[in-house]
Amino acid sequence: MKKILTVSFVASTLLMADTSLDLLKEQVEKQQQMIEILLQKIETMELKNSLQTSKKQKELDKEHTSTSTKSKAFTQSSFLPDISLIGDISYVSRNIKDAELTHLELPGVAHSIMGTHAHDGDSHAPYNADKGFNLNYAELGLSKSVDQNFKLNSIFHFSQNSVEIEELYFTTGILGHGVQLKGGRFNSDFGYHNNQHHHAWNFADNALVYEAFLGMHGINEKGAQLQWTAPTDTYLMIGAEVLQGENEQMFGNSAIHLSDLNSTNSDIGASNAPSMYIGYVKSSFDIGNTTILSGISYATGAARIDHSSDEEEAHAVTGKSKLYGADLTIKHFFDSYSFLTWQSEYLQREIEGTKYSIDDTSKAATASTLKKEQAGVYTQLIYAPNKHWKMGARYDTIFKNTINLNEGQDSFNKYSAMLEYNTSEFTKLRIQYNLNKALYDEDGKRRDINSVILQANFAIGAHGAHSF
Amino acid sequence: MMKKLFLLLIPFALFANIKIAVSYPYIGELTKKIAKDNVDIITLAKGNWDPHFVVPRPSLISKVRNADALIMNGGQLEIGWLPPLLERAGNPKVQVGGEGFLNLFDFIQPLEKPIVVDRSCGDVHPDGNPHYNLDPKNILLLADKIKTFLTILDFKNKQRYEQNYASFSQIWKKKIQEWKEKMASKKGLKVLQYHTNMAYFINAYGLQSIGTIEPLPGVPPSSKHTMKLIQLIKKEKPYAILHDVYHAPKTAKFIASKTGIKILTMPHDVGALENIDSLEALFDYLVGSMQ
Repeated sequence: MKKILTVSFVASTLLMADTSLDLLKEQVEKQQQMIEILLQKIETMELKNSLQTSKKQKELDKEHTSTSTKSKAFTQSSFLPDISLIGDISYVSRNIKDAELTHLELPGVAHSIMGTHAHDGDSHAPYNADKGFNLNYAELGLSKSVDQNFKLNSIFHFSQNSVEIEELYFTTGILGHGVQLKGGRFNSDFGYHNNQHHHAWNFADNALVYEAFLGMHGINEKGAQLQWTAPTDTYLMIGAEVLQGENEQMFGNSAIHLSDLNSTNSDIGASNAPSMYIGYVKSSFDIGNTTILSGISYATGAARIDHSSDEEEAHAVTGKSKLYGADLTIKHFFDSYSFLTWQSEYLQREIEGTKYSIDDTSKAATASTLKKEQAGVYTQLIYAPNKHWKMGARYDTIFKNTINLNEGQDSFNKYSAMLEYNTSEFTKLRIQYNLNKALYDEDGKRRDINSVILQANFAIGAHGAHSF
Repeated sequence: MMKKLFLLLIPFALFANIKIAVSYPYIGELTKKIAKDNVDIITLAKGNWDPHFVVPRPSLISKVRNADALIMNGGQLEIGWLPPLLERAGNPKVQVGGEGFLNLFDFIQPLEKPIVVDRSCGDVHPDGNPHYNLDPKNILLLADKIKTFLTILDFKNKQRYEQNYASFSQIWKKKIQEWKEKMASKKGLKVLQYHTNMAYFINAYGLQSIGTIEPLPGVPPSSKHTMKLIQLIKKEKPYAILHDVYHAPKTAKFIASKTGIKILTMPHDVGALENIDSLEALFDYLVGSMQ
């Protein structure tokens, strides 16, 4: 009896065991895998530590050699941001008086773009505005990582008597996948020339079409930017920006109080902000030592142009603006230092809306529909035979100026040539000659302007990165 | 069905190599020694151009954007060109301090660390001379660090990396011995450079640098300084001018015509000269040209 019981017991346990043994096996396997993963993690940690300690060892070795390690308990100097200061001064010689220059215009396109103009309340003094000596600016740049996710960049633009925050923006690549986010105040990446600061330009003054359509700052706005670089071998970048819309030349959203001039006038109301949207696509590829970079850009937004308190032809505009851009840069490198660059950009703008012309004496505003279509180009060739010399020529033109379907003045041309000597990466000495055939006086007569600009630009502090 | 699907997936798995961007070709060569076919190397700079002045072409942004890791030389050699690429790439993996970022300068003992850092002293590197790749002992040291880095990135191939490192280090140690023997008789020999980019080679073999053709780092030769050098050469009778491949040899040739000194063109990286296609070839050439 006992035997039978034992046999049946053993048999049943064996049967049971077959399934539970499988379970057990599985569990052991799982645990083994876990242990392996953990071991791997521990070992990776140890390896990381070993890399870190060999760094630290080097630091220690350094400290042994330096003698003054005392009283460093609370020093924060290693957290100082990268600081740079760029100073730009120039000497200008011109065949036209400063006072006369400020009254010249590109009829239907832009008013007084050269010389100092006191009436627009601009704190940012124009470059090379006066005959003789000019203190163009001091630009203070501070930048540093804020934490593991954000970097903060800032540029303070000092004129002789004022200062403005030209740029202050954060960037982050934390999103990964080639996405870069930027927010704050910054130069838009519209086109090629727009995001470059004055000291990176190849000429002492702005390209005519940029200056005439967008003013001396270009598109410099508060807003947010999102860019995505495609995961391809060929460089392809797509970007979008939402901007406040504060460009005096063609974008804006604030109210214009025409009733202040004459109580019978009705005011132009404010439109929603932000009011400016930008999109662009850029692509680049290399053929040997030649790099080709091209892009198309588009900007659209509400327009508010306030010239209501101007002395002559006072007016205000409300409506919608569009700006189209296409750029092409071809850069060939002969060696590490010598290159030839051909850079061109086409801009076309459309402003559609209502124009309020203000009578000189009664200050009464008369409304009329307005449609402007204007286009221009700049093209420049720069040759650097070595690290220290650069020479270049630029041709500027605005060749289309249609106002309410009528052809307006469309002969705006400018020719520039420059020679640059750099004693180092940080000093730029330049002589530039301009023949400006784009400006007209009040009688509609063209005034040709010859100018020679001697420019000196210095950078101290943190090493700025070379731009493409 | 599952089996078929699996077979379809195999080719993807095979090509899913880790992509490692490296700033200079020598780093790529060294990484290949340890990783063999397990990684794809993307080299950003060219070996025959000045390592300080690399053009930040937009195509390089795409390369950094698509990389899983980045190994750089450091010591501010890349300061003028790599930061804007990193900033525009939108790739957290390769940012400074990220998992996939390795700065080789962290592991070597720098030479010529300046006491005074001021741009009136020319284009100085505050952390010391960054051209440390020309001491073969540093190559061995860095191979070890790259092995560790690769193991962290790709633990499943740990053993391969260990093996590849072991066989590389064995060969390289022999080469170090061979070069040492060949250079033994050159100890104390006086030389000149264009830029101090041969400092670590000079230090490794006990040569003595008595001057540079550029008066200050990054500053072009001046006639005054050149005249002084000619006087110095006449007095000290140095062995040769060790000239890099990317500066124009005009001034060196002028000095040679006045003093009869030899000019030796010294490659600084793999690819600096046409036949320098490997790390061994680089040092063989450097040592060979001193014979």
